[in-house]
Amino acid sequence: MHYIRISDDPINIAPLYRKLVDPRYGGIDIFVGTVRQWTGDIETRKITYSAYQSMAERQLAKIAAPIEAQGGRVVIAHRTGTLNLTDIAVFVGVAAVHRAEAFKWCQQVIDTLKHEVPIWKKEYDTDKVRWGN
Amino acid sequence: MQITIKLFAFLQDQLGPTVTVELDSPVTVEKIFSAVAKQSLAIKAVLENSRLAVNQEFVSENELEITPTDEIAIIPPVSGG
Repeated sequence: MHYIRISDDPINIAPLYRKLVDPRYGGIDIFVGTVRQWTGDIETRKITYSAYQSMAERQLAKIAAPIEAQGGRVVIAHRTGTLNLTDIAVFVGVAAVHRAEAFKWCQQVIDTLKHEVPIWKKEYDTDKVRWGN
Repeated sequence: MQITIKLFAFLQDQLGPTVTVELDSPVTVEKIFSAVAKQSLAIKAVLENSRLAVNQEFVSENELEITPTDEIAIIPPVSGG
């Protein structure tokens, strides 16, 4: 069963990783997104994430469902609140029988998340404040 | 029909967490966006790139069957991850 969490609490990788460990699986692919300092010439100091939490959780569950239906396991954690440079904003972990599915599904989850899940970042850059996208 | 619409991100910064508008039936996506657009010129560009969600699902059809208990939200371009 998938695990999805959107929270102000810092993301701790170890317990999320443990949720993916299972003798059925031979491959675990993990993507960790962190707060980057530079985007071209723009320097970021911190980012505040906000979410339409109930809908975001629902959309994430929809992303996880077809993967779980094919035998994979999906663990997603996304931060809200204010994050500093290098803080973890998102954790996506997918466990699968073989590595090919693990890689493919993990990328599918993070790519879909970035387009379909109502979470927003507000970047506090050195020159101004920007809403993402 | 009076409809309260949830707003997020830049739209929330500009107009607050919700706006309430009065719309004639049938309620359409266009009518909702047009009513919200009248609240502020500053939101025009973002609104043009936003989507509507009803009961936490994106909607694509224009004409909507809305009841007073439905949860309506405008979703500006997302930027999680």
